[in-house]
Order: sequence, then structure tokens, then C-alpha cells
Amino acid sequence: MEAKLKQRPSALEATAAPGAFERHAWTWMRISGVLLIPLVWIHTLLQDVIVGVHAIDVNYVAARWANLGWRIFDVFLLGFAFAHGMNGVRQVAFEYIHSPRARRITAGVIFALWLVISAIGAIALIGGVNQEFPLQQQ
Amino acid sequence: MLTTLKIYRYDPENGGAPHYDTFTLEAQPTDRVLDLLERVRDDHDGTLAFRRSCAHGVCGSDAMRINGRNYLACKVLVKDLGTTEITIEPLLGLPVKKDLVVDMGPFFDHYREVMPYLVNDEEPPEGKERLQTPAERELFDDTTKCILCAACTTSCPVFWANGNYQGPAAIVNAHRFIFDSRDRAAEPRLAVLARQTGVWSCRTAFNCTEACPRDIKVTQAIAEVKRALVRRKPSARR
Repeated sequence: MEAKLKQRPSALEATAAPGAFERHAWTWMRISGVLLIPLVWIHTLLQDVIVGVHAIDVNYVAARWANLGWRIFDVFLLGFAFAHGMNGVRQVAFEYIHSPRARRITAGVIFALWLVISAIGAIALIGGVNQEFPLQQQ
Repeated sequence: MLTTLKIYRYDPENGGAPHYDTFTLEAQPTDRVLDLLERVRDDHDGTLAFRRSCAHGVCGSDAMRINGRNYLACKVLVKDLGTTEITIEPLLGLPVKKDLVVDMGPFFDHYREVMPYLVNDEEPPEGKERLQTPAERELFDDTTKCILCAACTTSCPVFWANGNYQGPAAIVNAHRFIFDSRDRAAEPRLAVLARQTGVWSCRTAFNCTEACPRDIKVTQAIAEVKRALVRRKPSARR
């Protein structure tokens, strides 16, 4: 039976394939997807409805940044929403890009983009507004 | 009632681009679409190519795209379509050989990869058959119903875009053995489905569940395989 199974190669050979990344990515999408429901709703309601985009100025940003709770909220939003979206872009891109080389390049570009923008976001969240509060309008 | 059939035509041997031919014929509301296709071939155009075998929804030969949705031509009645204008096209996502006949090769390649047969090297207890409780059987009962018509896989938008995706039918048939208490090869099957082209490519569009002429809960079966992959013991992973 063992010998017979070996003659049917494809499935058994595939057992050597590396596989954990896609599983982790999928689990990540589920967890972050659930968290995004409160995170995005609160963010959108507050920024676009309660405050309104036209009322958001540097003073508002500074006031929000001064509150540790909101900063933690924004860390979550950056960490979960952006990574969720970028992994989604990777998945959609992989549906149309089939050669392994092109996929590696695409994944690399998406990863770099995610890293740079997350880093900029993290710097802003940690560094904040380096001026005395309340700020002077320029 | 007078019914118009608009049928996709393609004949690579006689050149020419794919096109649609229109046939108008008298049909009963209780006629099956397959009946109309046979009538077209018998009375109007003997060169029309389509697959059929049992004509009773068991063999799965005559899956095709009817008014934009995958059906078995032998299971869908004219009255089910709610219109007298019927467009019939070959399944999407597989190469067209002629008219409504597609090359099922890529479909069966994916099917073979998941080892769709029982694997068990152990001696059955006391030389008898391997017993199974009704509860154990219940786990995979739904996925035993597959007739390999390809209606699910060729309704899947992920498969349309990427033919490397294992596809719902292969996953359903893997599910049928992965959850069978008598089988011993769940691990290599799960390994195939753990690849990027396996279950993780499923976007839960539910087209497969809607298209299945056997009413298999295909998306649920795929979700159960995903869950099995997430929960399997680390020692079992390679």
C-alpha cells in the first residue's frame, strides 16, 4: 500500500510544502476583521459624523493625542486595520498574479509599503505633536 | 410556448470566432433545458456539441451556464427560469473544446491531488468491515453527494481568476475523506489544502453553494476544512 501511495505523487509531495503562513494570515484576517467592527465604527462615527472632517484641525489632533486612551485606540486601528487591508490587497493580487517570481516581488512591495506607512503612523503616535498645547494656529 | 435559445458556439476545427446561434422552438414549461438542446441537435443543427449521459441529475455530465447561472441542463425546467429567452453557455473557467463542451482536465487534476479515495493500511478488526457510528458518518454525509459536475468550481470567482486554486469540488471531496473515521490520510490532504492555492484562497462568495445541483453545503464544508487546519495539533504539521 505504501509503495502504491508513492506512485500517486502530487498530494504526498505537497506535504513538504511550507504552509503555516497562509494559515496564520487567514486567522489574522478573522481576528482583525472582528476587531475592526468596533474600531472602524467608532472612528468613522467620531471623525466623520460627531466631529466632522471639516472640524478636524491640528488642535483637535493634538487634543486627541494628549489622551492616552485615544492613542491606544489609534495604535489598534493602525495595527489591525492597515495590516488587514494590506493582506487583503496581497490576496487579491495573488488571484491575478500567478508566477512565483512576480508573486514574490508583489509581496515584497506590499510588505515594504505596509512597513513604511506603519512606521510613519507609529512615529506620529509615539512622537505626537511637538509643540506646547494648546497650539497656536499658523 | 415559443422559446428562444441563444447558444454559445465555437468550433476550433472550422475556424471562426466564438459566437451565439439563436434557435426558436416550441417548448412546454415542464421541458428540461436538456430536452430543448436535444431538439435543437435533432431538428435544427446536428453539429451542436454538448455532454449528456444519464439525463437524470446523477452523472453530472451536463453542467452548463444557463441564463448566467450554473445548472445541470437535465435538472432545470423551462418554467424554473421564469423566461422564454434562454442563453446557454459552456462552464466558465475551463477551456472550451467545442460549443458547450469544456476541457475537464484541469478540474480533475485538482480533484486527483486531494487523494479522493479511502486510505487505510490497517487490518480491519477481526477481518471484518470497519464499523462507524451514525454520528461519525454524519460528519461527512453531505459531501458524499458530490457528482463531480464542476458546477461549483466553475461558478467560483477565485477559480475564474486563478486556475491554480484547488476549487470547491476538490475541497468537498477532500472533506469527504478527511472527516471519515475509517480514513488515515487526512494529513496529506490537509497539507495540499493548506497551500496558498488551497482553502485559504476561498473568499466565501457562496457561488458554489448556490450552484450545487445536489444541494451540498459547499462553503460550509470548506469552512470545516479551514477549521480543521487551524485546530490540528502542531506535531501533525510539517
